Amino acid sequence: MPLDPAVLKREFPPFEFRVERGKIREYALVLGLQDPVHTDPEAARASGYPDVVAPPTFTRQFWHENPGNDPMPHLGYDPKRRLHGEQEFEYFKPLVAGMVLRGRNAIASHEEKPGKRGGMMTFVVIETRFTDEKGELVQLARRTLIETAAPPKAEG
Amino acid sequence: MAIQTASLTYAKWEELAEGARHELTVGPLTRTDFVRYAGASGDFNPNHHDEIYAIRSGFDRPFAQGMLQGGYLGRALTEWLGPASLRKFRIRFSAQAWPGDMVLCKARVTRCYEESGEKRVEVEAEAVTQRGDVLIKATATAAPQG
Repeated sequence: MPLDPAVLKREFPPFEFRVERGKIREYALVLGLQDPVHTDPEAARASGYPDVVAPPTFTRQFWHENPGNDPMPHLGYDPKRRLHGEQEFEYFKPLVAGMVLRGRNAIASHEEKPGKRGGMMTFVVIETRFTDEKGELVQLARRTLIETAAPPKAEG
Repeated sequence: MAIQTASLTYAKWEELAEGARHELTVGPLTRTDFVRYAGASGDFNPNHHDEIYAIRSGFDRPFAQGMLQGGYLGRALTEWLGPASLRKFRIRFSAQAWPGDMVLCKARVTRCYEESGEKRVEVEAEAVTQRGDVLIKATATAAPQG
């Protein structure tokens, strides 16, 4: 389905959340991270961080996204043909517990290409810009969401 | 699980050269890992925990969130180069990981250079299964903290 031009132009409001120690610890334990700077505030301080350090993929969270602040639910993608094709992060300063992050989503680019077996594939890159309390950039996260081509319809 | 009190030691830029390697093996994956990752990330797509839903969606059984494998690869990089060493991390998803799979994370330095007043490396990495299926491919830029 072609992308709705109104969604491409729409601005999405920022969302805010406090980066929590417990949430970092949970995330680190799921991945089996051995480094205590993710789980033990004393170890983090001994290594020069103000508090426990978030693992590098930590900001790809669904907890803070909703149809009011995220373009994804408005793309009109068929859930059966929707893929998360790529995920990219750029890091500008360490993310540690206690920081209040402000995130803002925007469609960074979009493209439609013919599929190999007919139909059109759609690529949308959503960029999330995370800033801290001072307004300084902490991370940029980009997710590439793909809608694969619909199989050609049978005649009749 | 016992929590260590001493931090890991990380690779030093001066000791890394093009071709330097690091590996981490995780697994075998269980459905419990997928459920724990769902709770940690908020990704409750039923394809990752609901057998009947996954089968109706055309899969043989539930499979791992791509970002779980992305997280393992991120772990491999930060345990090697330092918890705040990454400057860029780009992950491309190519195949699904299933319960019972081992995830072998492999990373290799492709370039050592200086930029923005920092000693940096570029790294190519991938996560593959015991069958040799490539789950994800990644590139990263890092400033090693050793």
